[in-house]
Amino acid sequence: MNPRHFARIGRYLLTFALVVVAVAAIYPLLFTVVSSVKTQSGFADDPLGLPAGITFENYLEAFRRMDMPRLLLNSLVTTLGGLVLSVLAALLVAYAVTKLRFRGGKVVFLLIIVTLTIPSQAIIYPLYQTVLDLGMSGQYQGLILAYAAFGLPLGTYQLAGYFQQVPDELIEAARVDGAGHLTILFRLLAPIATPAIAALAIFNFVWMWNDLLLPLVIMGGSDSKTLMVGVSLLSGQYDVSVPLVSAGLIVALLPVLIVYLVFQRQLVSGALAGSGK
Amino acid sequence: MTISTAPVSDPVATDAPPAPTRRRRPGHAREWWLGAVLVLPAVVLAVLFKLVPLVRGVVTSFESSSGFGGSEFAGADNYTRMFDDPMVLTSFRNALLVVATLPVWIVLPLILALLIHQRSPGWKFFRAVYFVPYTIAPIVVGIMFRQILAPDGPLNALLRFVGLQPLAIEWLNGRYSALFSLVAVALWSFFGLGVMTYLAGLATIPEETLEAAYLDGAGFFRRLWSVVVPMLRPTVAYWSVLCASGVLIWLFPLIYALTQGGPGDATMLPEYLVFLTTFQFLDRGYGSAIGIALFVFVAVLSIFSVRHMFTEGTRKPR
Repeated sequence: MNPRHFARIGRYLLTFALVVVAVAAIYPLLFTVVSSVKTQSGFADDPLGLPAGITFENYLEAFRRMDMPRLLLNSLVTTLGGLVLSVLAALLVAYAVTKLRFRGGKVVFLLIIVTLTIPSQAIIYPLYQTVLDLGMSGQYQGLILAYAAFGLPLGTYQLAGYFQQVPDELIEAARVDGAGHLTILFRLLAPIATPAIAALAIFNFVWMWNDLLLPLVIMGGSDSKTLMVGVSLLSGQYDVSVPLVSAGLIVALLPVLIVYLVFQRQLVSGALAGSGK
Repeated sequence: MTISTAPVSDPVATDAPPAPTRRRRPGHAREWWLGAVLVLPAVVLAVLFKLVPLVRGVVTSFESSSGFGGSEFAGADNYTRMFDDPMVLTSFRNALLVVATLPVWIVLPLILALLIHQRSPGWKFFRAVYFVPYTIAPIVVGIMFRQILAPDGPLNALLRFVGLQPLAIEWLNGRYSALFSLVAVALWSFFGLGVMTYLAGLATIPEETLEAAYLDGAGFFRRLWSVVVPMLRPTVAYWSVLCASGVLIWLFPLIYALTQGGPGDATMLPEYLVFLTTFQFLDRGYGSAIGIALFVFVAVLSIFSVRHMFTEGTRKPR
């Protein structure tokens, strides 16, 4: 067997391995989609196979039970609020720490990234107490601020690393041209860092939309609870069939999937531009 | 995350500021005030929603406050109680078992990223597909896998079909298989993020470097081991950080949806125990003490990562 054959067999093996992992990655999703369009008796007769007929009754029922529009609105408001606030705060800190002659900047930077080691689970009750004391329990702003705080360490770290790469001479030149600090940050640095900001925004969108513990505790059973809390409550109801839950799951995961598919290019290029350090 | 591929070396020395200029130039004070204003929102957020709760948690952990009654100082009672509580001990032992799987979390995505990086036909498709599980909420993933892992679910059907009958067990009902299943599901849900991170790191390795190694007669594995892996060290470090500080946290919604800590205490992990103790048993003092223990556990795991991030973020590019 000459090397060329060897290389070709290697190629086949490689593609085979990639395909196996791809099937494993996508199958649970397909299974859930298929389950969601089966009737309850159809699922009971043949849980694994393809459905005899397609029904959308489960989706209608899921919408009826979960007050879907309100849940979607709640998730959207809190996620967008949290991600905008978090990225904005991170931008300001990153600029102050890397580009200003700002004594104490390093201490602030350390203070913020150290909070990465405080998981929400460890402080969940005192966090709930604090939100309660601020009068923000069950309120959008309570969850938005908590999201922003938990998104801060990684965001600050990434943007600071990015700004670090921008030569100080560029900033000096802009200053000589009479640009103020905010102009430099938002008209000069932010555009340069767009890939990193985009990747960060998508990353935040995904975890904030998908988070369970913070909305569960901060929003509780209020009308402002998020979609994930709604889904977890739905799956806990005793009379719920698998097809119905599956429909609820698909509705819950669709928004993020769509955001991902639409912004896939930005995510990849952002990840590339800020390539992990 | 930064672009520079300079090797991470000697970070502390470059940290030191150039000889401080004692004479203040005008504008310095104003810049300080500006800096203070700019960092204010972030500091307020970090203090209010992280540090204050942490301090309050420490205070509460020294109180006995059960049910709806008031609370009183209880000294270290909650902490000594933990050492006699089999549930707490088991939860931390389970946490150690989970942490022991970290090498898989770090290596598996690396291998997949390397395979995709070979740019064989369809690599963009694979890259896109691998990231899909990560976009699905963990609570949704958990509920999904209830069906997948069910005794008569698709996984066991597949195992029976390929003749691995004995492996078709009740995955969520065994002492170790339940914990194993949880970790496997978590890995399913997060490996795509790792692949994406590694691919980003791989893209920073210049083609010329590999070309040169190739021309020097280095084979595939030699290039991998002597060129790619060393140049990828910062990325590996970053991903390890994320996994070490995140792996326990990521499991919470899965436990919530899949096992509720069971069977028995087989999948009881500290973060779930904190939640149970505080919100179901209403034992806030004890719950806080377990929470603080969890914080120390995670902090020890991720202290190196924070140090790494700090030196990275404050280092001047060369």
